[in-house]
Amino acid sequence: MQYQMNKFLFSMILTELEDAVGKENCSTRAIDKVSHSVDYFWLSRMWADRGERMPEADIVVCPENATEVSKVLKIANYYKIPVTTWGAGGGTQGGAIPVAGGILLDTKRMNKIYEVNTDAMYIECGTGAIYKHIEWAANEVGKATMHYPSSLTCSTVGGFLAHRGIGVVSTKYGKIDDMVLQMEVVLPNGDIINTASAPKHAAGPDLNQIFIGSEGTLGVITKAQIRIFDQPEARRFRGFLFQDMHGAFLASRELLQKFKPSVMRLYDEAETSSLIKKIVGVERKGAFMNIAYEGVKELVDVEEKILLDTFKKYGAEDLGSEYGEKWWKEKITFFYPGHMMDIPQMFGTMDTIAPYGKIEEIYWAMKNAIESNFPQAKFIAHFSHWYEWGSMIYDRFIVEGKDVPTDPVEALRLHQQIWTCGVRTALEHGGVVNDHHGVGIKLGRLMKEQYGPAMQVFEGLKKTLDPNGIMNPFKLGI
Amino acid sequence: MIMSEKSKQHIDSCRFCWMCHHICPIGNATGQERSTPRARALGLSLVNREAIDLSEVMDNVYECATCGACVHECVTGWDPVMFAKEARLQAALEDKLPPYINTMVENCLTFGNAYGKNALCQSLSAAINAHSAQTDTLLFLGVDARYMMCAEACKAVAVLDKAGVAFTLLENEAPSGAQLEFLIGKADETAEMMAACAKVLNGYKTVVVYDPEDAKTIKQLYKEYGIEVKATVVTYTAFLASLLKENKLKAQKSDTRVVYQDPYQLARDLEETEEAREVIGAFAELSEMHLNRKETVFAGNILMAQYMPKVIEEVAKRRIFNAKSIGATAIVTASVSEYAALKAAAEEGFAIYSLEDLILQ
Repeated sequence: MQYQMNKFLFSMILTELEDAVGKENCSTRAIDKVSHSVDYFWLSRMWADRGERMPEADIVVCPENATEVSKVLKIANYYKIPVTTWGAGGGTQGGAIPVAGGILLDTKRMNKIYEVNTDAMYIECGTGAIYKHIEWAANEVGKATMHYPSSLTCSTVGGFLAHRGIGVVSTKYGKIDDMVLQMEVVLPNGDIINTASAPKHAAGPDLNQIFIGSEGTLGVITKAQIRIFDQPEARRFRGFLFQDMHGAFLASRELLQKFKPSVMRLYDEAETSSLIKKIVGVERKGAFMNIAYEGVKELVDVEEKILLDTFKKYGAEDLGSEYGEKWWKEKITFFYPGHMMDIPQMFGTMDTIAPYGKIEEIYWAMKNAIESNFPQAKFIAHFSHWYEWGSMIYDRFIVEGKDVPTDPVEALRLHQQIWTCGVRTALEHGGVVNDHHGVGIKLGRLMKEQYGPAMQVFEGLKKTLDPNGIMNPFKLGI
Repeated sequence: MIMSEKSKQHIDSCRFCWMCHHICPIGNATGQERSTPRARALGLSLVNREAIDLSEVMDNVYECATCGACVHECVTGWDPVMFAKEARLQAALEDKLPPYINTMVENCLTFGNAYGKNALCQSLSAAINAHSAQTDTLLFLGVDARYMMCAEACKAVAVLDKAGVAFTLLENEAPSGAQLEFLIGKADETAEMMAACAKVLNGYKTVVVYDPEDAKTIKQLYKEYGIEVKATVVTYTAFLASLLKENKLKAQKSDTRVVYQDPYQLARDLEETEEAREVIGAFAELSEMHLNRKETVFAGNILMAQYMPKVIEEVAKRRIFNAKSIGATAIVTASVSEYAALKAAAEEGFAIYSLEDLILQ
């Protein structure tokens, strides 16, 4: 579907956009449209795999800074053209796909690293910077970003902010929304604003947190100050095997009241016997858990003792450090083709978060709902981000072989049905619609079920900031 | 489009994989989504599925520098360079090359170089005359040095003169086929050009290859084409290191602080990283950029600058930025092509040296 414009008007608008960002940064070439039509979302990949063209933008623009973004949004607002913001296309929920056509705004030219500040411990950069690049900048001065998701090398700072991303050491260092000091945002009307100069204050609601997770529906985040940390003096790993998932939850909950490990990952039996066996080499029945603890060496010594004592109480078998170190080394390998699920398999990650007391129940309810309603689907899960109050489930379904419909519309329908079943079950048992992949077009329909009348807060913000509804239409359920 | 099953497999694996997104020097320079291995693979996968025409993606296929950073990064061994080259060959066979590429291919076939040059500068002609006598050792300069970087070619000659090496230079040096390989891949014409060059090289006991792109082609690609080179082929860099060890080159160390730009052909393809460092270390203070040796980042070349000059300038600027980030004020490179790109992009106060510059200073 393309935005409806007649040829004359289209040509007029194109020249205005070329004037705004430079002719070489404004494209109507097929390769640019195609490149921005398929992201990491399974449905877009499946669609392309079947030889179908996904919905494409009419014009792709690549602004260099907030001023150019402002010009683009003013033009878009005047002509009431949809604008979809694209980071690097690593999103899994179709959030960056220009389903309504119009303008695709690629942020990657806004990739400057403006400042590496080792006093206040932040890097100020354009949000088009690939996160790995700011990690390199931090490493050059002996620091680290401590944001290590599997998509570290293929997602932008803005992409993580837009979808509330998370990395593997989040339990100690936090999510992306904990990593930001200040942001520059271009509002839909073209105004350029800055959030407060410090992230903790009593100057009203937190502007950062209004735009973080807004998935390009309320504006375009163009610059951010991202926290950096000292490299840990010591980082140690310990693998454990639980025969009982319940014991793992009790042990983890208790551990988190005492200290915060960096990595905490608990794999259910199905995932232990598949992915963990294949990549880490654990060939045992049970639920594998990997814990990393790091920082100042003296503290790490103490934390190690607390960990071993706590987990022993709950019957965990200590597997030593070997598997954990192997896991750390291979933490991104899991996501390369050949290791990760890929087309022609059908799969989805319905990650959910909930407090202790609900999370286990949600796991079993979702597993039961998926496996009983869709016997062709395999359900696997791990729990990879933990808090003092709860945890998240990274639960996936996989459909293989002849069970995957070849017809793209049929495949889309089945994919939607499984997701709806899984996420609705999570909601019914007190879970949240998503933990760190975002909403996009994938889960928009379930946002109202999640929030009920609270959705009017989001809708009010949307109406006020984007009265013409041009920003990333059909995403986030607003 | 007729592509091999192997290429199709690699294309279909890369089309939905973003893991090397950060490492492509062209993608980082342009900030354009299309300039990434996955976008190139996606485009070609749609060509294979007849959802888009090959001609619509060929500009994009020629944005690949074939530097192999993505190949090196991939833990599962997928090879975006391989399928980009095969797409180039297919486009040539189907008469779907972009016009600017077609011109360069015609130039290669007519003049032996993509630039359409057939005259050497006076100083290089004089050097060639002085070294026209047959010896055991051939200094193979390559088309970039001979036709586009005459001063550098002369410096390369001067260094060997300084070391007292007896060597031959050819007035009509046969092209290695590296440019044609880059432009249209494994075509019959490429193989013929390589075979003709090998025949000349085999008239010598030792061939010292100045340009890393030629060195990679002769030492590595000729084998893939089944072309035998009996002469001992050494890179210019390794040859300098051996001259230093044999004390034929006298080192005089300065306090100039430099970083070394590993040419990807030497570092990744030929796994030669230390020889240049030995030379540099003898003449200057060497520091390391964050991404070095096999992790090196392509810093531009002369050939691609012919059809995407702004992008190549940005590629070089980004590499200079990498050097500046660790406090360096100079880059040394062993690639005449990267030297040209870096020199064109460097601002005042930041120096670009060749190995010859260090030795002759």
